[in-house]
Amino acid sequence: MSESIVQYYPRSRTRAIKAFLGQFLGHGGARLGLLCLVFFVAVAAVPTFLVGPLQTAINATGDFLMPPSGEHLLGTDEVGRDVLNLVVHGARISLVIALLATVISLVVGTTIGMTAGYYGGRVDVWLMRLTDFFFVMPSFVLALVITPVVLEVMGRGGEILGFRPSLFVIIVVIGMTSWAFVARIVRSQTLSLKERTFIDRARVVGSSNSSIMVRHILPNLVPQIAANGALVVAGAIYVETSLSFLGLGDPLQPSWGTLLSLAQRAGAASAGAWWYLAAPGVCVLSVSLSFVLIGNALDDTFNPRRRVIP
Amino acid sequence: MPDTADILRLESLQVHFPIQRGLFDRVLGRPAGAVRAVDGIDLNIGRGEIVALVGESGSGKTTVGRVITKLAQPTGGRLLFEGRNMTAERGSSALRPYRHRVQMIFQDAYQALNPRHTVFDIVAEPLRSLRLVDNVTQLAERVSKALAAAGLNPAGDFFSRFPHELSGGQRQRVVIAGALAVKPELIIADEPVSMLDVSIRAQILQVLVDLRDKHNMALLFITHDLPLAWLIADRIAVLYLGKLVEIGSADEITFNPRHPYTVALRNATPQIGGNAGRAVLPALQGEVPSAARVPKGCRFHPRCPLTFDRCKKEEPPPIEVGPQHLSACWLAK
Repeated sequence: MSESIVQYYPRSRTRAIKAFLGQFLGHGGARLGLLCLVFFVAVAAVPTFLVGPLQTAINATGDFLMPPSGEHLLGTDEVGRDVLNLVVHGARISLVIALLATVISLVVGTTIGMTAGYYGGRVDVWLMRLTDFFFVMPSFVLALVITPVVLEVMGRGGEILGFRPSLFVIIVVIGMTSWAFVARIVRSQTLSLKERTFIDRARVVGSSNSSIMVRHILPNLVPQIAANGALVVAGAIYVETSLSFLGLGDPLQPSWGTLLSLAQRAGAASAGAWWYLAAPGVCVLSVSLSFVLIGNALDDTFNPRRRVIP
Repeated sequence: MPDTADILRLESLQVHFPIQRGLFDRVLGRPAGAVRAVDGIDLNIGRGEIVALVGESGSGKTTVGRVITKLAQPTGGRLLFEGRNMTAERGSSALRPYRHRVQMIFQDAYQALNPRHTVFDIVAEPLRSLRLVDNVTQLAERVSKALAAAGLNPAGDFFSRFPHELSGGQRQRVVIAGALAVKPELIIADEPVSMLDVSIRAQILQVLVDLRDKHNMALLFITHDLPLAWLIADRIAVLYLGKLVEIGSADEITFNPRHPYTVALRNATPQIGGNAGRAVLPALQGEVPSAARVPKGCRFHPRCPLTFDRCKKEEPPPIEVGPQHLSACWLAK
């Protein structure tokens, strides 16, 4: 029976990536989301090339609150700045904040949730109390407390890991206040996964705890993590907007959130200046939606049971 | 024929699970109870021997398998592998030599396979984690040999399949291949065919018997099915409520049972052609009592048709009723 020994070629990395992309891009939603995201990333990469340097009240080019026209495609704001210019420059800040905060949140949340769920007992109790602590901590208050301290220590002009202090604080605050939600979801999923027989089997065939977590539990968590990652990005953009609204944003580098609050303060809604509110609003909406679409497609791709078998 | 040296020995093995007491019980000072899943078992398995562990659900037979594969920790007694005490060994690296030699086949093959791993990764996992191969070529060779030995031919066709793309019988073969890949000396098979179609069962059983015949692997076959046990095993141990009630050669247990429970088990087996010529004991009444409240005296007495006074007071020890044949019944003599 054993003469049928077959040569096995482990799938090369490029082939694996190709197969993954083929699956992933098979989803219409993924293509739309990715297209949208690539567009925003491209815009965020070269804002000055597209719309010139960031306009301020001093070098504003237009009249006050002008509706969209040939000269100002998205109209102007209350001090005559071109809204298109502001929105394009805001893309970089918004995306950087949202993505970095999400990465922090997912890494911390997954690690803590998986460890707590897998080991259980005292480890679980203490990690979950820690999670509860962060769960109930309001991001605004945390930001309000941390920001002045960091600014005092670093000074407004300084840099932390290449970020301006206020930006850095926002990223860390959003990351630290949103991981608890991820940890809870990951823990509950881990609790059910670790009771599955394939975990018993992994133990019997000699896998260590870390290898069980990385090779057996983590891959089965990917749908949850991906889907929630998309929500965390959307949430991060929302929290960033709120924090900027409270004046904790960086006034020298306006994000979409900052623009929305400026529009609000300028009375854009009552003045009928819909373009001023709509432009950053639509941007926030499309980026959040792209992440949700990509999250769903990732879920489908990582779950082999939902694959169409050729 | 099986070697005489024991590969595995269980000495008064005991697994009690504590019952969480509520606040009320603690205030009243009630003692903490325990589920006595396994309550003192002595069992030995020789090299290349097939021993069947037979019992109803709730008899603790799965727990015995979990203790031997170190998935559950015994609360008493000893687990000896080739005379070495393995009872307290813990941790994946400390257990690596043991894992190499003792493997398990699970009842529900679908649950036992990670849905996100390919067949190749599943069968390769023990070889990788026990560090038994040096390179990919060797790995592929051993994986395809194991798949072929488990009856999946040609092995290469299955490498990149996922468990959901296989039939029930093929999945069970993958589980068996995973256990075989490390060339163990003892395999614990926990109801390996109970989830399979009758037509597939014989093939899977043949694979298991072949392993013993070709590689002198010992097998602990856990099942609730007495005829199946007789078919495959050299010896049969009958488990009731965490304790062995009878143990002996497969033929002795099946055709000359000396414990009323074994007799009842045999009578419960439907047979083509009716029940003519069966022993004259009525069918078993009632359920297996909870392992949290084990009856006093002989634990079988509430259901036993032959029960008398002594059974309610004293627990019968294993009594030798024939060569290598022990029965824990006061009437066995």
